[in-house]
Amino acid sequence: MFRLHLGDWVDSAVDWLQTHLAWLFDFISSVVSGMFDGIAAVLSAPAPLLFAGIVAVIAWWLRGLLAGILAFAGFALIDSVELWDEAMDTLTLVLVATIVTLVLAVPLGIWASRSKTVSAVIRPVLDFMQTMPAMVYLIPGVIFFGVGVVPGIIATIIFALPPGVRMTELGIRQVDGELVEAAEAFGTTSRNTLLRVQLPLALPTIMAGINQVIMLGLSMVVIAGMVGGGGLGGSVYRAIGNVDVGLGFEAGVSIVILAMYLDRMTSALGREVSPLARRALAKAQSMGGGLKIWHHRPQPVVAVAGVVALALVAGGMGVFGSSDDESTAASDPANIGAGKKVSMGYIPWDEGIASTFLWKELLERRGFEVDVKQYEAGALYTGMAGGQIDFETDSWLPVTHASYWKKYKDRLDDMGSWYGPTSLELAVPTYVKDVKSLADLKGKASDFKGRIVGIEPSAGETGLLKDKILPGYGLDKEYKVVDGSTPSMLAELKRAYAKKEPIVVPLWSPHWAYNQFELTKLKDPKNLWGKGDGIHTLSRKGFAEDNPEVGKWLEDFKMSEDQLTSLEAQIQKSGSGKEQEAVRTWLKANPDVADKWTPVKKSAPAKGANGKDERDRAVEMAWFPWEEDIAATYLWKAVLEERGYKINLKQFEVGPMYTAMSRGQIDVQFDGWLPFTQKNYWSKYGSELTDIGSWYGPTSIEVAVPDYVKDVKSLADLKGKSSKFKGRIVGIEPGTATMENLKKNVLPAYGLDDEYKVVDSSTPGMLAELKRAYAKKEPIAVLLWTPHWAYSEYGMTKLQDPKKAFGEGDRLHTIASKEFPENYPQLTKWFKDFKLSEKQLAGLENQIQKLGTGHEEEAVKAWMEKNPGIADKMAPQ
Amino acid sequence: MSRLQAEHLYKVFGRRPDQAVQKLRGGTDRDALRADGTTAAVIDASFTVEPGQIFVVMGLSGSGKSTLLRMLNGLLEPTSGQVLFDGQDLTALSPAELRHVRSTKISMVFQHFALFPHRSVLENAAYGLEVQGVPRAERNRRATEALELTGLAGWEKSWPDELSGGMQQRVGLARALATDADLLLMDESFSALDPLIRRDMQDQLLELQKRLKKTIVFITHDLNEAMRLGDRIAVMRDGEIVQLGTAEDILVTPANDYVASFTQDVDRARVLTAGAVMAETDTVIGTLCDKGTEIRSADDVLRATPATVTESTPIIELFTPCSQSRVAVAVTDDKGKLLGVVPRERLLAVLGEPMTPAQAPQDAATSLKKVAGV
Repeated sequence: MFRLHLGDWVDSAVDWLQTHLAWLFDFISSVVSGMFDGIAAVLSAPAPLLFAGIVAVIAWWLRGLLAGILAFAGFALIDSVELWDEAMDTLTLVLVATIVTLVLAVPLGIWASRSKTVSAVIRPVLDFMQTMPAMVYLIPGVIFFGVGVVPGIIATIIFALPPGVRMTELGIRQVDGELVEAAEAFGTTSRNTLLRVQLPLALPTIMAGINQVIMLGLSMVVIAGMVGGGGLGGSVYRAIGNVDVGLGFEAGVSIVILAMYLDRMTSALGREVSPLARRALAKAQSMGGGLKIWHHRPQPVVAVAGVVALALVAGGMGVFGSSDDESTAASDPANIGAGKKVSMGYIPWDEGIASTFLWKELLERRGFEVDVKQYEAGALYTGMAGGQIDFETDSWLPVTHASYWKKYKDRLDDMGSWYGPTSLELAVPTYVKDVKSLADLKGKASDFKGRIVGIEPSAGETGLLKDKILPGYGLDKEYKVVDGSTPSMLAELKRAYAKKEPIVVPLWSPHWAYNQFELTKLKDPKNLWGKGDGIHTLSRKGFAEDNPEVGKWLEDFKMSEDQLTSLEAQIQKSGSGKEQEAVRTWLKANPDVADKWTPVKKSAPAKGANGKDERDRAVEMAWFPWEEDIAATYLWKAVLEERGYKINLKQFEVGPMYTAMSRGQIDVQFDGWLPFTQKNYWSKYGSELTDIGSWYGPTSIEVAVPDYVKDVKSLADLKGKSSKFKGRIVGIEPGTATMENLKKNVLPAYGLDDEYKVVDSSTPGMLAELKRAYAKKEPIAVLLWTPHWAYSEYGMTKLQDPKKAFGEGDRLHTIASKEFPENYPQLTKWFKDFKLSEKQLAGLENQIQKLGTGHEEEAVKAWMEKNPGIADKMAPQ
Repeated sequence: MSRLQAEHLYKVFGRRPDQAVQKLRGGTDRDALRADGTTAAVIDASFTVEPGQIFVVMGLSGSGKSTLLRMLNGLLEPTSGQVLFDGQDLTALSPAELRHVRSTKISMVFQHFALFPHRSVLENAAYGLEVQGVPRAERNRRATEALELTGLAGWEKSWPDELSGGMQQRVGLARALATDADLLLMDESFSALDPLIRRDMQDQLLELQKRLKKTIVFITHDLNEAMRLGDRIAVMRDGEIVQLGTAEDILVTPANDYVASFTQDVDRARVLTAGAVMAETDTVIGTLCDKGTEIRSADDVLRATPATVTESTPIIELFTPCSQSRVAVAVTDDKGKLLGVVPRERLLAVLGEPMTPAQAPQDAATSLKKVAGV
C-alpha cells in the first residue's frame, strides 16, 4: 500500500506556521496568559473560606439555602485537603477557556443559524474538532505556545467550542418561524429580531450550550495538567505518575466539586436569565411542597449585597495580608538569586525527583524562586527547547534519551554529567532461582505470565527493550512489554515480591529498589543495553549566560552513588508530597554539601549591580543589516572583546528589535534613527528603554545622482528630465518611513509625482542597481542617506532640497534596555562618550563593503589598524 | 383610489425565477415548470381592494394564497409585478422604507397567533408600537385600548400560554390594531380555532369592522368563512385567481367546475340574500293572490305579500313566509319602495345545484349581474 505521508505534511505545516506566525502565537499566548493571570489574581486574592462564602451566597441566591450550604461545605473541603490554590488555578483555566469559547462560539452560532452555507461549512470542522482526541491538540499546542497553561487553555477551547456553536445555532433555528415572521411583519430590523425575539427564546438552549462548554472544559483540565497546565489537573497527573491513590482521590473529588458547582450554577443561571424558564420555575415552586426553608432564596439585591460585602472583606484582607513574605533579606550575600525565577521540570523517576528537589532546595537557599513541575518526557524537552523550562537534571545520555537530544540539541545546553556511569537492566527477584541472564528468560514465559512489567512507553529504556533487547535474545515472541509508569512498575514489583510471584521488570542503577528488595540484575552477555549513560543536566539555550552562578554550580555538580541512593531512600521514606522536607532532612545529615555545590563568592569585584563584575554577563547586542549599523556594531564588538566582555550579536528587524529590547531580551543597539524615522517605535517602547545618546549626526536623507549627470543639482532640476532617468527613482524597502515620505511628500512638493515612479526595492537592490548604472555611466536617481559608504565609493551629487521636503535629519542614537545603565555602568559611560565623524564612519563602512559579507570582523580590525588609538578613545581604561 | 392594488403578481421559487415567469407568460403551465425544479406559487394575480373592504382570498392549501398575502406587505418580494399601497409601489421601496411601512401602515394576524411567549399580553399587544419607538407610557395606553377593543380588558398582565386559543388570537388582533395600521392582513387567522369560537371571532371581526372601517385582506380555506366575511372574494387554485367576485357571484355563477365543487357544501340559504335572487316585479303581475284577486300593480304586491324584506335579508328567512302563501315575498328598499319579488319557485331553483350561465333563467342572470356590479 502506498504510504501517504500525511503526518509529515502536518509536521511541515506546523513547522511553517511556527516560523511564520510566531508573532500571532506570541500574541495569543500573551492575551490568554494575561487573562489567566488577571482572573487568577482575583480568584486567589480572598482567603479560601471567604471565597467559599462568596460562592455559597451565589448558590443560595440561584438555587436555595441547601445549595448554598452544600457549596460552602464543598469548597471548604477543597481547602481542607490543601488543594485550594490548585482548585483556583483550575477554576481560572476553565473560566478563561469558557470566556474565550463563548466569545467565539456565540457569534459563530448566530452566523451559522442565519446562513445555510456557513452552517454547512462549519459542521464538518466542528465534527473534526470534537472527535479528534483532545490530547492530540496538545502536541502542536506545546510547539506553538510552549508548556504551561496556554496550550491547555487552547486545547480546551478547541475541544469545548463545538457544543457552544451547535447549541447556539440550534437554539436560534428552533425559534418558531412564525414568531420571526411576526417580528418582521411589524417592521422589526433583523438585528432587533435577533436581539428581541430569537436570542431571548434561544437562551435556554444557549445556556445549556454554555453549561456543556464548562463541563467539557473541566474534563480537559486533567489533560492540560500533562503539559504543565498545573491546577487540579497537575495534581491528578502527578498522582497518576506516582500511583498515589490518596492524592488522586483528593484532586479528583475537588474536580467533581468544582464541576457540580459550575454545572448547577450555570443551569440555574440559565433559568434565571431566561424569562420563559423563570416563569416555569415560579409555577413549579408554587405547586411544590416539602421543607420550604431549604428552597428559600434571597432576593437578588440581598444576594448581590452579600457577595459585594464578602468580596470587600476579601479584598481588604488580601491587601493587608500580602506583606508577609519578604523573609530573605536582600542584603544577604548568599541571596544571589534576589527572587529571580527559575523553573525546573522533571520526569517522575526517582533519581530525577531526588536531584530536582535537591536543587530546588539549594537554589531557594540562595534566594532564587524555584518553580518545579512534573512533565511527560516529550513535553519536558519541548518545554525546555521552547525556553519555558530553565533546566532539568535527569537526562540519560548518550543512549537512553538520545532521540530527544538529537531532536532538540540545537536549542539546549548540556551542563555535563553529575552521575555515572549508570546501567540499564532487566531484574527479577532473587527467589526466581534459575534466571541469571537475559538468555535464561527464554522458554520461561509461562512463569512470568508472558509479560515484562514495563515503565513509561515514552522512556528511552522501553524503546531499547522493545527494539533491541527482546529481539536480540529472541524473546520478542514470548514476552510482551506491558506499558505503565515507573511507579506502577514498582508497585507491581512490590505486590509480586510480597507474594513471592515471579516477575521481571526493567530497572536501572542507581535505584533504591535494589536496597529495598533482593533483586538479580540479569546479565547482558551480548552487551545489547550498550554502555552506561551518564546522568546529565540539560538547560535551555542560554540559561547559563543568564544565570552565570547557577550555570557554574550545575556544571560543577557531582553526586556519588552513596549520596544519591541515600537521598532517594530518604525521599522514599517521607512519601510523596514531602520531597522537599526529605531533602532538608538529608541536607542536615550531610551539612557540607550545600556550600560545596552552591559556593558563594566571598568578595566579588564590585562593579555592576548585585555586586558582581558586569563583564560576567554577556551583552546581547542587536543590529540591523544597514551599513552604518553593521559598522558601529562590529566596531564595538571588537573593542569590547578586547576589554574582556562577551558579546552576542543578533540580527533583527526594527519592530521585533524594539519589542525584544523593551522586554529586556536585548541589551543594546546602535542604530536608533531618532527623533523621526523610528519615532513610532520610540513612542511605543521608549518608556521601557534608555536612550544613551547620539554618536553620529545629523544624518540626512536625500535623492542622489552620479556626478556625471551634470545638470542636476537639486530636486527641482529633476523636473522635465524623467525620460533621462527612465521615469524612475530607485528606492529601498517599501513601507519604510523614508519611502513613504519620498512618495507622499517629497515628489509632490517638487511636482515630480506625475513624472517619476518610485521603484520599490531593497537597500542592496538599490545599491546593486546604482553600481550597474554607474559602471555604464547611465543616469540614475536613487534614494540614499548620509552617512553612507556609497558617497565615498562613487562620485555622487546629493540633490539639494530647498523646500526641506525630506524634513530634518535624524541623529543616530545608542538605545539600551531599561536596566542597562544599572547592569553595565562602565559600558554606559563609554557609549555615552562615543562619537564618530562622517569621515570615520564612511571609511569603516567602505572597508566592510570591500571585504564583503562574513568578513566584518576582519574589516573592523583593518580599519582600527589604520586608526590607531581609536579603541582607547572609545573605551578608555 | 384603491387602498391596495395588486398588478400581475408572480412568485416563483427555485432557480432562474425570471425565466420561469417568462415561460408562464408564454403559456407554459405550472406542472411543466415543476419538472425543472421551480415552483410557481403565484401566477399573474391582479386585484384591487377598496378602503373599508374585507377582501377574502380563498383556496385550498398549496394554492398560493399565503404567498400572495406575504407579497402584499413585502415579506416576500414578488418575482414580477407590482403591489400598490395607497398608490405607492411597495416593490420599489428600500428595505428600511418597507420596514417603516410595515411598522406603521400594514399589520398582520397569524394563523397560530405568533404571540411572543416571553412577553406578557400587554407587551405583546404593544410590540408594534415598541418597534415604532413610541414611548412606553403611550404604547401601554394604546395597547390597553386595543385589548379592550378585542374584549381582553383585565388580562394585560397575563402570559400568552395562560390564555385559550380564542383569547390568544384576540391578543394577536389587538397587536395588529394597536398600531393603527390602515391595512390588516389576516392569514387564516381563525382556522386554528374550534368552530364555535371561530364563529364568535368572525362576529367580533365584523363588529369591529363596522366601527373601525379598516381595509382587510383575509386568507381562508373555508368558503363559509369567506362568504360570511368577504365583501369580495378571490378564489385561488394552483397559484392562479380563478374567480373574483362577491359571495353571490361565486355561488350562483361559479366560473368553472372547480369553484362549483367548492360551493356545494356552502349553506346557500344563509349566504344568498333576497336582493341577489329576487325577480322583477313584472313577473308576478297578472298572477292571483291567495284571496283569488289578480295582482295588477306594485301596491297589490305589497298588500298581498306574506312578508316584506330588504335586499340584504338572507333567503333562509324567506322560507317560512313562502310556505304560507302562494304570493311572492316582496323586497323593498329603506323607504318601502318595491324593488323586486321572490316567488316560491325561484327560491327552490337557487337552492338547487349551481347553474351554468346557460341554464340560468334569463331574468335571474340579469339581476345577479346587477348585484355583482358588473
